[in-house]
Amino acid sequence: MSILQTKKLTIKFGGLTAVNEVDFSLESGHIVGIIGPNGAGKTTFINLIAGLHTPTSGSVFLDGEDITAMKPHKRARIGIGRTFQLIHPLENLSLVENVMNGFLFAQDFSVPKARKAAVLLCEELGLSRLERPTSQMNILEIKKMELAKALAVNPKILFLDEMMAGLNSDESLEMISLVQKVTRSKNLAVGVVEHVMGVIKQLTHSVVVLDGGEVIAQGKYEDVVKNERVQSAYLGGGA
Amino acid sequence: MRQNKAVIGSAVGFIGVMIIILLIAKPSALIFGIQRAGLYAAIALPMALVLGIVHIVNLAHGEMMMIAAYLTYSICVAFGLDPLVAMVPTAVIMFFVGMLLFRFTIRYALKAPELNQLILTFGLAMVLSQGINLLATSQPRKLSVDYVTSSATIGNVSFGTYDFIFLAVAVIFLTGLMLFLKKTRLGKAAMAVGQNPVGAQFVGINVISTYTIIFAIASAMLGIMGAFFITKMSIFPTVGGAYTMKSFCLVAMAGIGNLPMVLLSSLVLGISESAVQSIPGGTGWSPLVFFGLIIAVILFRSYAKTAGVK
Amino acid sequence: MKKTLNRTFLIIGVLLLAAPLFMGPYAQSVARSVLMYLMLAISWNMLVSSGQLSFGIAGFFGLGGYASTLAIVYLGMPPILSLVFAFILVGAAAWLLGLVALRLRGMYFAISTLALAEIFRVIIHNWHGFTGGPNGKLLPKLIFDGASVPTYLLMAVLAAGTIAFSMWFRRSKFHFAVTSIRDNEIAAMSTGINIYKTLLMVFAVTSAVQGLVGASFANMYGFVTPESSFNMNYTLLPLAMTLLGGLYTTWGPVLGAVLLGIVGEYLKLYIPYGHLIVYGIIIVLVILFMPNGIVGLSGKLLNGFEARKKGEVQL
Repeated sequence: MSILQTKKLTIKFGGLTAVNEVDFSLESGHIVGIIGPNGAGKTTFINLIAGLHTPTSGSVFLDGEDITAMKPHKRARIGIGRTFQLIHPLENLSLVENVMNGFLFAQDFSVPKARKAAVLLCEELGLSRLERPTSQMNILEIKKMELAKALAVNPKILFLDEMMAGLNSDESLEMISLVQKVTRSKNLAVGVVEHVMGVIKQLTHSVVVLDGGEVIAQGKYEDVVKNERVQSAYLGGGA
Repeated sequence: MRQNKAVIGSAVGFIGVMIIILLIAKPSALIFGIQRAGLYAAIALPMALVLGIVHIVNLAHGEMMMIAAYLTYSICVAFGLDPLVAMVPTAVIMFFVGMLLFRFTIRYALKAPELNQLILTFGLAMVLSQGINLLATSQPRKLSVDYVTSSATIGNVSFGTYDFIFLAVAVIFLTGLMLFLKKTRLGKAAMAVGQNPVGAQFVGINVISTYTIIFAIASAMLGIMGAFFITKMSIFPTVGGAYTMKSFCLVAMAGIGNLPMVLLSSLVLGISESAVQSIPGGTGWSPLVFFGLIIAVILFRSYAKTAGVK
Repeated sequence: MKKTLNRTFLIIGVLLLAAPLFMGPYAQSVARSVLMYLMLAISWNMLVSSGQLSFGIAGFFGLGGYASTLAIVYLGMPPILSLVFAFILVGAAAWLLGLVALRLRGMYFAISTLALAEIFRVIIHNWHGFTGGPNGKLLPKLIFDGASVPTYLLMAVLAAGTIAFSMWFRRSKFHFAVTSIRDNEIAAMSTGINIYKTLLMVFAVTSAVQGLVGASFANMYGFVTPESSFNMNYTLLPLAMTLLGGLYTTWGPVLGAVLLGIVGEYLKLYIPYGHLIVYGIIIVLVILFMPNGIVGLSGKLLNGFEARKKGEVQL
């Protein structure tokens, strides 16, 4: 039984159809890669699920409930967590305070309780010196903090938008095992947008390929990369 | 684009309806409203340039016009000149005043958050108006010029003819600005800087001096308007504040960056104000018209926007 | 570090608050006006912590003054109760205005609030029968019959309450919500923050405080007029005080209000016209050269000192 479903999800900006009739689903404990060339509509698709855009047509279901018209902050509260392609540390809050937000607002913890929970979560993800301002953190730490911020809303589903961008290969490996660990331990349904095919191959259980806002293929990574449409649209373009 | 057409359509429709009503009910109010619109547009156009093209928020806009009016006043009093002659030195001085203000203050708030720009120029507005208060006290001042009282009569409606000069100034400002932005190197550079300051730098445009000159040009335009302003109106230190708000309202109504629409939005404001004034007992309420308009327009725009993207 | 700073300010604050009681009516009247601006500055600073810049202080200040005065004149309300009434009424008015204005951001919001004072002034100016029009309204008597000590005590209690409220605010969930909204609205909403509702609540409460200050002012001086009650000074001074003291802190506006409030008394005596230029100059200089104000600067110095003690390198 899939926890998140979209049905014919579509959004048009003026004349441009950024996402076109996408049927998509996520299951708990599974990691799905969302791939496609630049401008394929990957981030727009995540924004639609997070509620930052209102779809032109189609719908989004969480646990069978229609959440198409729900406001973004409510979606965070019912368990949709996400990270951003362009990282968004809240620079006037410290590391731990950044992570506290989700506990405070999505889970409605008190301030002391949220602080305790955030400290635990940060330690779980290997973050230390938690009172630092975000300006003193390195890129890996920032990425981990972004993951912690998304996990702090106690998500059922989690979208990671370009989590590995800017990380070197060792750091990527660390992030991959971290994501796999939290997916298992918290039984999350995870959607991953990623450019590096190696990451997708290692991390995901299956992939969905978007091109021009449409799903052109889905299935196991090994099968999808053999697909002709995918090769011409995506892999063919680069290699 | 479609939204713009809707705005233009409703503005034109609104003006049309108002014109017909006023023509029948009170033609003098219509003429007065159009003259008003000219004044508003002529003061708002420099803001449309600074805010719309190079994206600087200047809350000292009205105060700069007030300074220019005082400048013209002092030149006239000191040298016995006509204000329309004193306009030339005023505009030149204001050009340099704008240059200095930009170079030494606003420039440093360009990269800071918008909040800083707003607070900074609010502070400047206060420095200018309180500076005049300090130098010239709050006593209102006026020049008496005889040609401003000229009038004409059509049918049984008589009205002042001099005030049409504001409309003429507005049209000249607008035409000049459009030509400047489309035809001159500097104008094109200004458009480029406004759209993408970093990119403009890479194609060899000196960004800071472009900003400076645009701001100085807008200041010189305010210098010209200050001179026209004192031919007709009395001035006091806080006279500019309302024009900052009205200019902003007009530029926002027109759509940031859309200069010709400023003329249209001024007509909407001018005619509505004068319609409200022509209702018995309505005179005192006319300062509220602009607020009602701006709320209507902003709500309309924000709803049109949410229909597409949040 | 923060704690020692807080505690130091708290002790100094209590001493300063008590001092005018022993210094006679003139000191008390100066201190009253300092406290008044202090409350305006603190409340403004709370809203600006969310990144929303309001120029509407004078508007809510004047509205509060009129609410209290008219309640006393027409309903015979006791003065203290009229202060509560003004607090609630202005809060409600701000809530309603916020429903529209808080859909706007940045310069649009700022300029809408700049227009507020003017709008309230025009309405009250024109509503002759009810508000007394341009002549304003006189109160039948001053609060506590104009006795200096109880009036000062009332202001001291209100100011202490506002400071305590601000201290609570900066530890509560609101601190996290408004700071996140100021930093990045999209990131804020993706952690579950209801931005619109948060801003509405902060706008309503801080405006209510400004209304309360306006109401106390009216009750201390015994009259309201459109020109004096909606005077731009009530926006200008709190802004300058907060900026000088330090944005986004509780003690910044307190420090700024005490410094500028006392300096302002002297300026008023020596430069009757245009002494307000000083506040404009302070705003400009602080934004250009000292955007974190005195508290930010001293915090930085203290941090630098501590870092040097520990042998750390400060970036």
